[in-house]
Amino acid sequence: MEIYLPLLVQGLAIGVLTGILYVLVALGLTLIYGILHIVNFAHGEIYMLGAMAVFYLHVVGGLPLVPTLAAIVLLSVLLGVAVERGVFRSLRGQWLQLVVASVGISLVIQSVGWIVFGIQEKSVPSYLPGIVQFLGVRLPRERLLAAGVAAVLVAGLYLLVYRTKAGLAMRAIEEDEETARMLGVNANRVASLSVALGFVLAAVAGAFVAPVYSLNPGMGLEPILMSFLIIIVGGLGSITGTVLAGLLVGVLQSVGAVLFGAEAAYGIVFVVMIAVLVFRPAGLLGQV
Amino acid sequence: MTRLARFLTLAAVVALIAGLPLPPAAHAQKAFKMGAIVPVSGPAAAFGLGVQRGMELAAEDVGTMTVGSDKYKVEVVTYDTVYDPGKTVAALNRAVYNDGVKYGIIIGAGVHPPILPIIRETGFLDLAFAAAGRQITNSENPTVFRIMASSDQLYQTYLVSVVEKIGAKRVAFLGPNDELGKNDGKLVKAQVDTMKGKGVQFVAEEYYERGARDFGPALLRLIAHKPDLIETDGSPTGSIALIAKQARELGFEGYFLNSTAVLEAKAISDIAGKAGDNIIALRIWAKPPTELYSQLAERHQKKYGEAAPGTMWEAYAATRWVADVVQKTGTFDTKKVAEALAQSTYPQHPFGAASWGGEKAYGAKRQIVLPIPAAILKGGKWEPFDVRAGKFD
Amino acid sequence: MAFLRQDPRLGVKAVVLAAVLIALVALPPLAEPYVLHVAIVVLINVVYAEALYVIMRMGYLSFGHAGYIALGAYTSALLATKLDVSVWLGFLAGGAVAAVFAWLLGMITLKLRGIYFSLSVFAFAEVVNAIFRAFDVFGGPAGIANVPRPMFFGTRLNSHLGFYYVVLAAAVVSLAFLYRQASTRFGFTLLALRTRDTEALAESVGIAAARYKTLAFVASCFFCGLMGAIHGHYLRFVSPFVFTFFFSTDLVIFNMVGGLGSFWGPMAGSVLLTALGEQLFAAGYYKSLVYAVVLLVVILVLPGGLIDLPRARQAWTERRQRFSKAPVTTAER
Repeated sequence: MEIYLPLLVQGLAIGVLTGILYVLVALGLTLIYGILHIVNFAHGEIYMLGAMAVFYLHVVGGLPLVPTLAAIVLLSVLLGVAVERGVFRSLRGQWLQLVVASVGISLVIQSVGWIVFGIQEKSVPSYLPGIVQFLGVRLPRERLLAAGVAAVLVAGLYLLVYRTKAGLAMRAIEEDEETARMLGVNANRVASLSVALGFVLAAVAGAFVAPVYSLNPGMGLEPILMSFLIIIVGGLGSITGTVLAGLLVGVLQSVGAVLFGAEAAYGIVFVVMIAVLVFRPAGLLGQV
Repeated sequence: MTRLARFLTLAAVVALIAGLPLPPAAHAQKAFKMGAIVPVSGPAAAFGLGVQRGMELAAEDVGTMTVGSDKYKVEVVTYDTVYDPGKTVAALNRAVYNDGVKYGIIIGAGVHPPILPIIRETGFLDLAFAAAGRQITNSENPTVFRIMASSDQLYQTYLVSVVEKIGAKRVAFLGPNDELGKNDGKLVKAQVDTMKGKGVQFVAEEYYERGARDFGPALLRLIAHKPDLIETDGSPTGSIALIAKQARELGFEGYFLNSTAVLEAKAISDIAGKAGDNIIALRIWAKPPTELYSQLAERHQKKYGEAAPGTMWEAYAATRWVADVVQKTGTFDTKKVAEALAQSTYPQHPFGAASWGGEKAYGAKRQIVLPIPAAILKGGKWEPFDVRAGKFD
Repeated sequence: MAFLRQDPRLGVKAVVLAAVLIALVALPPLAEPYVLHVAIVVLINVVYAEALYVIMRMGYLSFGHAGYIALGAYTSALLATKLDVSVWLGFLAGGAVAAVFAWLLGMITLKLRGIYFSLSVFAFAEVVNAIFRAFDVFGGPAGIANVPRPMFFGTRLNSHLGFYYVVLAAAVVSLAFLYRQASTRFGFTLLALRTRDTEALAESVGIAAARYKTLAFVASCFFCGLMGAIHGHYLRFVSPFVFTFFFSTDLVIFNMVGGLGSFWGPMAGSVLLTALGEQLFAAGYYKSLVYAVVLLVVILVLPGGLIDLPRARQAWTERRQRFSKAPVTTAER
């Protein structure tokens, strides 16, 4: 069993880092659902576009990192507003059509992605290469960076939603749209803002996770499945729930793999998801 | 007319039009159609595109062939399977029954089981790019030929030599959680066990979900057993690059062994950087083995604007070989051609002289036997890795 | 059969249906094997789509129907290959197993609404595939090959034509049942259960909502399992990679494109999109693109789906007429 203790610690550390990556990816989905009750199936594809944007603007185009990120934010806002105005707005209230429409959008983006970006696996070089050794545990720097970004975004999101007027408007619309509108909240603007923000979160997640793995047009599928899993466990619409669930899943996968092997760990995560669905369908901290 | 009646008529008309396959256009020049029943979209697209393009280049080179008393040109018809069994069945149905295609290259062990009955019933001559040895090439499927080296072949021929050459004592296996991975895991273990006398042990095996990008969970336990060599089976460029990168992040300093046909050195070194060093790849040529190999590589670059995926050369060779045999036999009858093919050799294969074997291993002489290279990645480039090859029959 | 009495144009409808059925029965021997293949796939997809329709009418969006289909397919395949059970029994067993799971899971999942339900059935389908992949007794990742075709009076139905009639018969029976579910009082009751509020309303007038929902869900999944078994025996192969999440999504797309306003909607959607998909055989992502674009256009422009086309056209021409008249003075109004 000696072999296991340092391994468990390493596993725990990697698990926490991976979990934070999951949180980063799932944030956008949680936000859009939390405010507008729309499940944005296209979330994974926006993530993919964010990563591809970094590749084409920064790696191929030579644009430095900060302007690239700014461009990505701008483009996601534009795309988000366009999608909200063009598709979501006319379907507001019809959750079935909304879900299916977002599936359609995701398929369109993915198909066009394969055609435009081609099949060759691409890669973005690390923003911060190298490893940090800390108490016998090896932590890749680029993952620490992504974790840092995630933490900043989560904090920023909390501040936005709970401490600003815009956030107040968002919460008002979420709770009771009619009354909020009667009190002067511009529902359309809140909707556009929420979708834009959700898209920005997805694209930025893509930009920061891009160097960790490699890129191809189909890379949006795994994040969205993982995000769904996390959101089921943590609760749709709850930021805290997403954070907790992300960390939980990451740690379970890692530590579970150390103890029982990777296949079994994958199974454990599934079992947890089912347990949550059976005993607490709203998720650990979800709103019903 | 009632709404129902109107709808049904419309639906029937639409269905008839949409579902009715168009009869193939009459050619002034008769065509010898060969099907590329391969994934050209989705994650496995690189393999499929390599095949499609290899076939197209071969078709150009064959030009006009005389079969019996008529002249024919080779025509490549592509059916995208997206590596899905249902779509592969649909593709083969369309090819064989509607388009009159009786020869073709089909990719994928995972998609072969449902099409084998159709192949047997129609006598389609299948040049298979598929692992899973005996299940596909055996005496029950006389028209199925494997045109790539199989896993059995690779490991029987090479594993022991590689282990000896790098002086590894502890071997581990990391494979995809599917039939290919599970099969190969057993094969590798069996081969390593034959070296017990020399102090070599098989220390660990782990499996990951195909398509996964984070191998951390699988690698953690594997690396704890301190292997010298991690056999990574047939995982594509992106996966092996990430495996190498993440394994080194966790402190692994040994060698990797890989047996995929399609591996790009540049992509690996882009993704993994220095971590990609010491990946030993079977099936990858560090130096072109023949003139033809380099010529084809250049032609592909010129015509398609990118480096040729690893499946291109074998597809080219298979197409030309079959066209040759069809000409010599003077008939398109697949059973006759299959018999003639199995007895023939092809000295002009871009990898070197090729023939068929596998009687002992599979019960039928349907496995291509050709020179198999090994290369090792150093500094972002492939270098030849010189190992003594064992025997495969 | 009360619903028959209510329909004034029954005579015409019956004749049309009979004509279609006769065509479906009589024409195939003249058809090429490939056309038969397309016909088989279309028939199978139509039944899947209509089974899903029953559930969507109740307001439940399922992205996991492939799971029940897989259960049916695997049950039958296992019985036939491992226990030498007659394939006909296997079909029924497939349906039964899917129905039992639907009943058990329905107790939990039907209580959930909206996206929670969708996610839970999606999770279920993934679990089903994961279990089939994990254990060798189910064939593992390689699946089960050499699944036999059924025997019919001594001959095994290996040909396309023979099996086509099996599929046709099963499809007709299934669709007849599913039509009843959609159109009788049962069907209208299901409509009443579409949202949580209307369900509460229905209960308040004495309708046992849970029982209706469960019955509909079980029936829907029974036919999915049945056709799934038939599907598996057609391919002569089952594996965890055949009945995937993408498959479930396709079924949803067939329903939405065809239209949820009538029983014939999903049928229209399946026929059109399946046939179209077969024509787009050269590049997979073009097919996905076409499906997605058609879906979006339908949702945004023609939310009722294709079968809504006549009504929508009428509404459109009416609006044009209304707005093209010269402005009327208040006196003329």
